Amino acid sequence: MATIRGEQGSVQFDAAGSANATVVGTRSWSLTTTKETLDTSVHGDTFRSFVGSMISGSGTVELVYDPDATGQAGFLEDVLTTADPADATFELFTTGSVSGTDSISFAGIVTDMEISSNVGDLVVVSCSFITSGTITGNLE
Amino acid sequence: MAITSRNQVRSIIESRLALELAESPAIPVVFHNMDYEPAVNSSWVQCLVSFGQNEYLSQGLTVDSRNRIVGLLLLNIFTPQGEGPGANYVIAKRVRDLYNRVIVSEVYFDAANGPSVLAPPVPEGYFQTQVRVTFEFIEEL
Repeated sequence: MATIRGEQGSVQFDAAGSANATVVGTRSWSLTTTKETLDTSVHGDTFRSFVGSMISGSGTVELVYDPDATGQAGFLEDVLTTADPADATFELFTTGSVSGTDSISFAGIVTDMEISSNVGDLVVVSCSFITSGTITGNLE
Repeated sequence: MAITSRNQVRSIIESRLALELAESPAIPVVFHNMDYEPAVNSSWVQCLVSFGQNEYLSQGLTVDSRNRIVGLLLLNIFTPQGEGPGANYVIAKRVRDLYNRVIVSEVYFDAANGPSVLAPPVPEGYFQTQVRVTFEFIEEL
């Protein structure tokens, strides 16, 4: 058994969805995946029963802002894409950066970008996203 | 310019001070681990750079990753004893202005502290004040 620490992680992204590349300077990421459920209980049942339905995800990526860091600008500014076709691709790694290994990948939309500047502290950026389409898990 | 070593930071800090104190009126400056025998009743500055806490700043282990490192710059300012603090504070202002809230080659200096009078001075025989400046930089791996 091997535990994993957050600093082993990374984020890859491509706004056009063609070739993911590491976003340098990410500090954390999170992804919440939700499966809706449909109630299949019928007359006569005494316990509710369900089947799984649509799956979706949302999450955040936090970065230490650096205008020269590879991949940051494209990631941060994806929120400005109008009529976003959800063609951006994400891959969130728990460790390493080998595509398809220890990661979760999906297409999605950056829905929120918050950049903050405070005296005496680093400028940090927090982005939120939602998934669109299939979420592929490679966490095993 | 990405910072990859402590010596790079030390050099940035020390060279800035050495250049300033080489200007008129020139004042001797001594750094860590250097022998120096000050002349009696002379003015001189001791510059001590220390590195401290290091923290993870980004993900990525040893590739495309960053650490945030803080350090402390101690500037001991010595002037002749028995002549009041004025001359000492003039030197203190010169060195303080070099670092106070300044960003040099990606080294971020905080607001400078001091000059604070140190008594008894080390070595004795001088009037000593100390300017302290914390700084930080991002180590890129």
